Amino acid sequence: MNAVFEPITGRYVTLDISGVTQRIYFEEAGQGTPVVCFHTAGSDNRQWRFILNDDELTRTHRFIAPDMPWHGKSLPPAGWQTQQYDLTTKTYMDTVLAFCDALELDRPIFAGCSMGGRIALQLALHHPDRFAGFIAIEASDFQPAWYDIDWFHRPDAPGGEMGAALISANIAPQSPEVERWNTQWLFMQSGPGVVRGDLSFYTRDDSLVGQLHRIDTAKAPVHIMVGEYDLTCTPEDARRTAEAIPGATLDVMPGIGHFPMSENPERFHPHFVSALTRMAEPGSGQ
Amino acid sequence: MADTSDLIVRFERMRTNLNRTPHLRRLGALFSETVLIQIDDEEFYLFFDKGQLARIEPGPSRKTPWRFALRTDADALARFWEPMPAPGFHDIFGLIKIGRGRIDGDILCLVKNLRFFKEFMDFGRGELTV
Repeated sequence: MNAVFEPITGRYVTLDISGVTQRIYFEEAGQGTPVVCFHTAGSDNRQWRFILNDDELTRTHRFIAPDMPWHGKSLPPAGWQTQQYDLTTKTYMDTVLAFCDALELDRPIFAGCSMGGRIALQLALHHPDRFAGFIAIEASDFQPAWYDIDWFHRPDAPGGEMGAALISANIAPQSPEVERWNTQWLFMQSGPGVVRGDLSFYTRDDSLVGQLHRIDTAKAPVHIMVGEYDLTCTPEDARRTAEAIPGATLDVMPGIGHFPMSENPERFHPHFVSALTRMAEPGSGQ
Repeated sequence: MADTSDLIVRFERMRTNLNRTPHLRRLGALFSETVLIQIDDEEFYLFFDKGQLARIEPGPSRKTPWRFALRTDADALARFWEPMPAPGFHDIFGLIKIGRGRIDGDILCLVKNLRFFKEFMDFGRGELTV
């Protein structure tokens, strides 16, 4: 029998977020500098499994990847059946901060992709003292929808499979077949209305526009990463954003789309290693 | 300008590949629609029946109803069908995002059958050997 156990462990923590009781599932691996890793819209912490399984990086870093409420193995809050899920910037930031407090993390590095990259920039603006640095992946100040987000939740269409087919446009053709489809599988598993509610935050909250110059990278560095095949947050969007943040750095990743750590972990790896080294000292990205 | 005979050959190859692909026959089991592919001024009507491409008819035709249409230009489609397409040319929605394609008609029908249709369109990738 050839059984291979991974070093990843999973736990649950119940905590109050904005006055609402939430049961959060998280996975972690490694020892050292804490790095909290947040997933994209409509997915869960399995997007980060290759980083959590990385022998080299886990020698020096403790990676902690939660499922946001409503995602993966974190349940939606009590009463969800009558609510319309619409993620907001405030709830999202409260979730990150409450989670870090619950785990008693001292100035962790924040790494987030897509909507996780957007919240990285919001945290860099509003709570730079709470983090050692921000790795904002597929991140920009604002992306209005170029599609109807209500497509993702309607009674006459299969939200998960349809959503996966739509977001596959954001996966680079170079990405290996297995991980291309695993990335879509995570999307197919998102609960009804979750992608729509995530995209409500991502495509309608423009509160970062005009605020990027106020981000102080001397307090905590900001490093933006973007895949060249990302249609949602294009390299031009990421460049516009990075150029508006004094001291921010930018890495455009060839042959990668919107889900770097999930769709092509091998190609993403050296870029993420480089990003982590930039988090070593405040302002080091300048 | 699109080369009509080359495009017919390519669509025929796509039909052959579709016939050889059991998972798409399963995914397309409920897909019986006519799709218009317009390349510059060239029109092609693809008649799908339960996930099989029953026939291909060149246009133009004002009398043929279609469910949805994908409109693009010959250069964009050639780049879409390259083995390793450049960013923006790698997906039909990429063509739309970069302003080289348009979808008209019943878009909901398209997105409900999106995986089927995208994998069908991907069969056009690669060199054309007649």
